[in-house]
Amino acid sequence: MKFVGIVGTNASKSYNRKLLEFMKSHFSEKVDIEILELKGVPMFNESDDQSQSPIIQNFNTKITEADGVIIATPEHNHSVPSALKSILEWLSWNLHPFDGKPVMVVGAAYDVQGSSRAQLHLRQILDAPGVNASVMPGSEFLLGRANEAFDEAGKIKSDRTVDFLESCFYRFMRFAKIANLLNVPEDVSFEPGTYEVKAVGHNGDLPMIVEMSSTRIEKIDIDTAGESQGIADVVFTRIPSQIIEGQTLNVDILSGASVTSNGVIDGVAKAVKMAGANPDVLKKRPKAQSAINHGDEEYTADVVVVGAGGAGLAAAASVLQQGKKVIIVEKFPAIGGNTVRTGGPMNAADPEWQRKFAAIPGEGHTIEELAATPEEQVDAEYLADFRIFKHQVADYLRDTKEGKEFLFDSAIFHRMQTYFGGKRNDLQGYSIYGQYDLVKVLTDQALASVKWLEELGVEFDYNEVTMPVGALWRRGHKPVKHEGYAFVAALEQFVRAQGGQILTDTPVKRLIIEADGRVSGVMGTGVAGQTVTVHAPAVVLASGGFGANTQMLKQYNTYWSEIDDDIKTSNSPAITGDGILLGQSAGAELVGMGFSQMMPVSDPQTGALFSGLQVPPQNFVMVNQQGKRFVNEYGSRDQLSIAAINNGGLFYLIADDKIKETAYNTNQAKIDKQVERGTLFRADTLEDLAQQIHIDPTTLVDTIAMYNSYVDQGHDPEFGKNAFDLKVAVAPFYATPRKPAVHHTMGGLKIDTQTHVLHESGQTIPGLYAAGEVAGGIHAGNRLGGNSLTDIFTFGRIAGRTAVEEQAVLSKS
Amino acid sequence: MKLIGMVGTNSNTSTNRKLLQFMRKHFSSQAEIEICEIKHLPAFDEPEDRQAPTEVQALCEQIAAADGVIISTPEYDHTIPAALKSAMEWISYTTRPLINKPVLIVGASHGLLGTSRAQMHLRQILDAPELKARVLPSSEFLLGHSLAAFDESGDLVYANKVQELEEIFEEFQLFVKINQQLVKDNHFKTEQSKAFSWESAIWGGERA
Repeated sequence: MKFVGIVGTNASKSYNRKLLEFMKSHFSEKVDIEILELKGVPMFNESDDQSQSPIIQNFNTKITEADGVIIATPEHNHSVPSALKSILEWLSWNLHPFDGKPVMVVGAAYDVQGSSRAQLHLRQILDAPGVNASVMPGSEFLLGRANEAFDEAGKIKSDRTVDFLESCFYRFMRFAKIANLLNVPEDVSFEPGTYEVKAVGHNGDLPMIVEMSSTRIEKIDIDTAGESQGIADVVFTRIPSQIIEGQTLNVDILSGASVTSNGVIDGVAKAVKMAGANPDVLKKRPKAQSAINHGDEEYTADVVVVGAGGAGLAAAASVLQQGKKVIIVEKFPAIGGNTVRTGGPMNAADPEWQRKFAAIPGEGHTIEELAATPEEQVDAEYLADFRIFKHQVADYLRDTKEGKEFLFDSAIFHRMQTYFGGKRNDLQGYSIYGQYDLVKVLTDQALASVKWLEELGVEFDYNEVTMPVGALWRRGHKPVKHEGYAFVAALEQFVRAQGGQILTDTPVKRLIIEADGRVSGVMGTGVAGQTVTVHAPAVVLASGGFGANTQMLKQYNTYWSEIDDDIKTSNSPAITGDGILLGQSAGAELVGMGFSQMMPVSDPQTGALFSGLQVPPQNFVMVNQQGKRFVNEYGSRDQLSIAAINNGGLFYLIADDKIKETAYNTNQAKIDKQVERGTLFRADTLEDLAQQIHIDPTTLVDTIAMYNSYVDQGHDPEFGKNAFDLKVAVAPFYATPRKPAVHHTMGGLKIDTQTHVLHESGQTIPGLYAAGEVAGGIHAGNRLGGNSLTDIFTFGRIAGRTAVEEQAVLSKS
Repeated sequence: MKLIGMVGTNSNTSTNRKLLQFMRKHFSSQAEIEICEIKHLPAFDEPEDRQAPTEVQALCEQIAAADGVIISTPEYDHTIPAALKSAMEWISYTTRPLINKPVLIVGASHGLLGTSRAQMHLRQILDAPELKARVLPSSEFLLGHSLAAFDESGDLVYANKVQELEEIFEEFQLFVKINQQLVKDNHFKTEQSKAFSWESAIWGGERA
């Protein structure tokens, strides 16, 4: 048997130390007692976690390994000394070595009382849930008048006292043996099967399906449709993965999401119970390996990428294609960032393909109108391209026969739309438009990016050319399935297959910057609190914008008259501008930070895009809360958002059964579920639909009749809608409530065409690159729908290539 | 009336600190409450020379100059935090300014119980011969669910708790005055307490 004895004071002179030393030698033939001292234990402070310090780890390990613990406490002010209390606080916070541990309390004091009051306090403390020791009841050993109790050799003088100590101690030896039996893990076996349970979420119950074999929890599926996005997303991935990894219910809850964390853990516990096993046994099991801090980690790579969204994955894939080693560091448990949240169409002009599609009403008018823009309204850098565009339009109109109009496009048209679409003035009158050389790269390389993605395994649907909201033209390349996830899945597979490493759960806290200003790696914090260092001569920032950081949005905003404190966002909660701050730490210049984009057609409750019926804008019919149309539905995102905000924010997308068929985000089961939940409205008549959304039936009926007549004539005299497709005619009818939410931040780190991050001085920052939403300058005042995917895959690819090429040059020179 | 509000923790974020800040603001017309922190105090280690570090001396002087002390304590493991206990040990080990000093105990906790057990222990601790504070009897102020208790401007949002605190604070002000009467003539006992030591106590105070 092995015991640990804790001297309950840090004083240099202590009778309690003497008492333990006496016990150690007196009982040496029966047990081995190792004495631990409190000297050097830092004062407990929850703002300064020192659980990993050697001295506290030593206590933790020794106590964990011991068969029992003897605590010898003095009495200070009727209670235990602060030094003893401090170690108990350290060992009941993030570490719990006392849990179930047999403990014997003894004490020595000058006073005849012999620490009686301190011992009672200590027993209460050891009973606290964080400590949860098994304290031996009874057999209270108090050594009063301790200053007279020992002889010069350190032996207790009184035989009667020694006899009593022996009887207490032998009892403790038996107690420890029995109490430790309670700590032997019980065997667990499950009745194999699939168990349906409900976890408590923030917005009501979350249905969960837990699959169990006879020995293991195999799978946990949580239906999160009813839960708002936010930190809870992390709960739904991390907690189930830790439960399965460790086959344990001993899982740390996530701060800021304790209700949902506990909901998931309790839900699995319920399933365990239904499978005939005792969940308490699983709660006593050790934590999953990934949740335990195994010490700091250090890595080396040729390139380190910050952020595992589309831009970061593209950069990593491009590094791997050149045979170099890459590590991606991602702050969330799941990869994909905002890219998994997109609808999936990626803009790239591919005229050979597009000309196979017939033009739709209004499109010819759109290009004619753009080509008629007076040249004095075109900025000098773009003028040459604008003239080429005018020729292209003239040629197209000349060569197209009446009734055989096909879909026109060209890289230059894409460039002109990106430029015009992004040219905006802010509230202070500051005018911004896309930086020519960056916009040129974006639009000229767009198709090459599509082809590159195809090589990496992304399958596009060439049967359809789509236009996401605010794209202004049909040039969207849409993956065959899974929307934005298709890109992430293909790139992840490629990156992992080629030996790329992805470190999730690791927010990067700072850049490693050498004395000469060169960036040579990153430092972050791992899931268990360990420091993660990646040394690499090239760092690519691909961490996204700051759409989920309301404070930062408000700080820089110069475009919107007001950004509400509780504004919703379509973004992942990870998108908080971290990369912009990292860039600034290296002196980076920022560009266009005041311009952010609202997605007009977001879910009013969650900011998400994928609820309700999301159809192509030619089929949008937007009505305000009075049931009236209020905007050209084919307009840019900011035009739609401003119009919506001016009409009270909340508005409805009206659809009929045919328009419903063109929705790219949903299926009948999802639709039925949302109707049931009341987040989507359905009725057999327009009048009934109007009543459901509390608007005047006659107004809605009139509005729709007018709209249908515009579709027939291919012209909208009220708002000038540019393109039409279907009428609202076939029951059942639908109304999807929508409201603008923050969608994209156009501003960011200033980069050049090679993705170098530029210093405030105008020089490049050696070793630092940026791609995707973290960078600014391209989309300027308003980003076209579908251009974001083009941006991340084009500049992500370039970043990976440049980072590798420049190292080769560096190592040669 | 001049009072000290002692934050019973060394944590950077604490609803006990918020509670004291609220009291300082809310009772500013009745008393001047100076908030004092224990987070910079070194850990008590029973130095042989009985010399208090300067931070402890400053705290003791602050207490000595005040008419009364409010201690707001969290609860860690069913008792007061080690940091607060350490402050008490320094005070009792040096000039013992809490002797006969009126003390009001309050406490805030994230959970439901509002530090009930820690407050009980603190009363017993303040009764120790080297501390001998005059703790307001029969009133305890327990603030549960403290994370949701304060709004952005630091005001206590639970109306019944505000009322309770107002009554307790009124009692405490009275108690401070009554206590001045109570301890007026007991110099002997005070001096005895100041000189108290466990080493000598067991000999009936005859040997130091």
